[in-house]
Amino acid sequence: MEAADEWLLQSLRLYRDLHTFELQAPTRLIEWARGNRVCVAGYGQCDGNEILQLIPPPTLLTKETQGLCPERDFKVECGGFSERPVYSLKYVPDTSLLVTSGPPDSSLQVWQVSAEDSDVIKSVSTIATENGTGQSWAKIATISARAPWVLHGSRLDRVQITEVESRKNVYTAAIQASRGSEELGSLAFLDCNLLLLCCATGRLCLADTRQPQSLVEAVPAPSAPCSEHWCMGTRHAAQGSEPSSQPVARLSSRGLLALTDLRKTSEFLALAKARVPSPGSGAEFLCVSWAPALEGYLAVSGFDGTVHVYDTQSWDSSGKEAEPIFVHKGHIFGGAGGSRDPPLVTVHTWHLQKPRTLLSAASDGSLHVWDWVQPCGKCG
Amino acid sequence: RRFPDFSYITQNGRLTDFLDCVIISHFHLDHCGALPYFSEMVGYDGPIYMTHPTKAICPILLEDYRKITVDKKGETNFFTSQMIKDCMKKVVAVHLHQTVQVDEELEIKAYYAGHVLGAAMFQIKVGCESVVYTGDYNMTPDRHLGAAWLDKCRPDLLITESTYATTIRDSKRCRERDFLKKVHETVERGGKVLIPVFALGRAQELCILLETFWERMNLKAPIYFSTGLTEKANHYYKLFITWTNQKIRKTFVQRNMFEFKHIKAFDRAFADNPGPMVVFATPGMLHAGQSLQIFRKWAGNEKNMVIMPGYCVQGTVGHKILSGQRKLEMEGRQILEVKLQVEPIAHADAKGIMQLIRQAEPRNVLLVHGEAKKMEFLKQKIEQEFHVSCFMPANGETTTILTNPCIPVDISLGLLKRETAIGAAPDAKRPRLMHGTLLMKDNSFRLVSPEQALKELGLAEHQLRFTCRVHIQDPRKEHETVLRVYNHLKGVLKDYSVQHLPDGSITVESILIQATAHSEDQGTKVLLVSWTYQDEELGSYLTSLLKKGLPQSTP
Repeated sequence: MEAADEWLLQSLRLYRDLHTFELQAPTRLIEWARGNRVCVAGYGQCDGNEILQLIPPPTLLTKETQGLCPERDFKVECGGFSERPVYSLKYVPDTSLLVTSGPPDSSLQVWQVSAEDSDVIKSVSTIATENGTGQSWAKIATISARAPWVLHGSRLDRVQITEVESRKNVYTAAIQASRGSEELGSLAFLDCNLLLLCCATGRLCLADTRQPQSLVEAVPAPSAPCSEHWCMGTRHAAQGSEPSSQPVARLSSRGLLALTDLRKTSEFLALAKARVPSPGSGAEFLCVSWAPALEGYLAVSGFDGTVHVYDTQSWDSSGKEAEPIFVHKGHIFGGAGGSRDPPLVTVHTWHLQKPRTLLSAASDGSLHVWDWVQPCGKCG
Repeated sequence: RRFPDFSYITQNGRLTDFLDCVIISHFHLDHCGALPYFSEMVGYDGPIYMTHPTKAICPILLEDYRKITVDKKGETNFFTSQMIKDCMKKVVAVHLHQTVQVDEELEIKAYYAGHVLGAAMFQIKVGCESVVYTGDYNMTPDRHLGAAWLDKCRPDLLITESTYATTIRDSKRCRERDFLKKVHETVERGGKVLIPVFALGRAQELCILLETFWERMNLKAPIYFSTGLTEKANHYYKLFITWTNQKIRKTFVQRNMFEFKHIKAFDRAFADNPGPMVVFATPGMLHAGQSLQIFRKWAGNEKNMVIMPGYCVQGTVGHKILSGQRKLEMEGRQILEVKLQVEPIAHADAKGIMQLIRQAEPRNVLLVHGEAKKMEFLKQKIEQEFHVSCFMPANGETTTILTNPCIPVDISLGLLKRETAIGAAPDAKRPRLMHGTLLMKDNSFRLVSPEQALKELGLAEHQLRFTCRVHIQDPRKEHETVLRVYNHLKGVLKDYSVQHLPDGSITVESILIQATAHSEDQGTKVLLVSWTYQDEELGSYLTSLLKKGLPQSTP
């Protein structure tokens, strides 16, 4: 217990606030919902995975830390039971619905959340997809600009947009035969017309729903194809500015970080390498995300039991190793320790308003909420 | 409404006649606060059960509660000090895991609940049916108390609270970190920290924590513990050492609880010393005494901090400042400006309902909930995982729970041996039917052989014999008819023992056949076939066989 106690003492200096929780089952997603709710879900192979919508402790709900709020706990507001593992979950904005996906196939499950009436998240319908060979689970994104839509697909040639309530297909991405069946790493709506698709090879593709026949390859893969696996993180544009003005970050399983400005795709905005252990632990839980309230900051996880925070403003395109501004090591010191395998961080996300607050989850069921102290010069 | 409406228990008749007993789970006011009102003002003279520590501590808290409510707030229609004393006279203290016979049929047993000193969960049993009521409990051990524990008692019903069941607790280490951070920051800036505590429980835990921290960080600011606290706490811990966890027991045995390296006895003069310090003082709600005195001295300085570790009753200074009040009216109409930081510590138990159900294996679960909001998700979760029924009645609602009482029956060894000797041993897939007699005597059930039963009951065995007359057309003499019958049966019934006895009768196994002439008709012979009821099957078969008649050809 020595190392854990030592870290806890250091944490007094490293964090303004720190919460560590233990979920009954590990999650690989943390999604924000209306009213500052947080959603997590189980991804175990057997039946009985729970989807939980949580009310965060009051200390997280306010911008300033209030002295008179002793409550430090999450409360389960409502929950549902999923027969299949939940790998991805997205709320459908302006509705009381959410969509999930997970193996064994690329179909989607639609759920209803009505927290006022009942605390059960009910399964409502399934959006089926044709299952070809080599199909894994679908990546999803949602938007409710013209109607509640879900963008989904497990492969580049199977990307489509479905209207959630009617389950009608609204758009199917057309793809050149040669490009075919590349597996998708992640996908996103840049706005209600523009789609951004990141393949597992690292290739980025842009599509415009108004022009159904064209799929534009925007950016090639950052490095020569090898066994690297890629995912991406996008940042929401501020009200009024162009969606493609926000840089897109791509992260590889080898730790390479490529930043791209979609308006100038011929070159990298920046290229750097995160310090990651090797051999890598695979690409299962790769996660990269931009800080909503700190310009140029992003967080990376999925290589081990840590979360790295980087300030990309000083990066160039050399691809050299970057020094993280902060490393969260809490998940390593959380568990009983000893002979068990060290936990792997499965996902992280930034708090939407509090600039330095992040939430992270690991394969041992831990869920951490941490508000780190900016190390340069300011602290006393 | 200050106290619960006890007319919900019964509208007809006295509580003493209606109730067999009252059980108090622990000393927190939300569990015992109405006890003197209930027993002395509403009227109940039956037994009141609680653990020893609860019995020792309850009257102190009740008296405090009374003082605050009556003396400070001026309430009338409240119980008096004498009533508290009279109430406690009705209390019977119990030990953990001690089966207490309340009356001939009802027994109760207390289990360790953690939570606070003396807290218990209770099993209530009548015959083979039982209910476990959990009260408040804690599933993770903390620094001074162990974790709740139930054996596989398999009660028909487990009654527990659900309000915190779906809370995901911040770890103890982060809560402690938060406490240490607050203390450290205050002391670093030269401020003073006041921690009002009740004599027992949280105080010891926080002391151990601070002592370890001070040692580790090599801090110099003094930590004080008021002597009144020390004496009381030592007294209680000596009495109830078995109720605390291993760690405390070890420290207590090795040295007196409060011989900490960094924690010293407090003298009231120290409150005026300059510079940072930490002081633990009673009482916990800042309603009187030393902690209030110190608070008045330190309240005006914003560098200072008061850390409130517990719940405060309405009307106390503790309650007021926790509600955010910054100006307090003190004695003599003095106004006290509260500039120091007020920090509550969230102390919460890890409820671990799923864990508790897993331990006890109840057949049904009943969740008591304070909120109108439904807890359908938890109900489904419990039902799915444990395959038990889960109920959540609202206040005033009656729930009916069906039980399957098990009736144990002893089987006599002789009978068991005999039955197993008869054929192949029965296995789980092919159960075999066995015969015996069930004797119900003196509240016990036994399965014995019929002979044994007859013997014990002093009854003679009765033999049932059936006799059937079969008419056969045969003009010959009786003994010739008998011979014909004998040869016929011998030929047909090859697997049975057919005998022709010297007295002229035939036996087939134990069935007897005799022939007589018909009284009126010489040409007809009457066969008397008789058998005991055990041979009913063979007897009926023989009879129908003989009714078919004899073969014409003579042997």
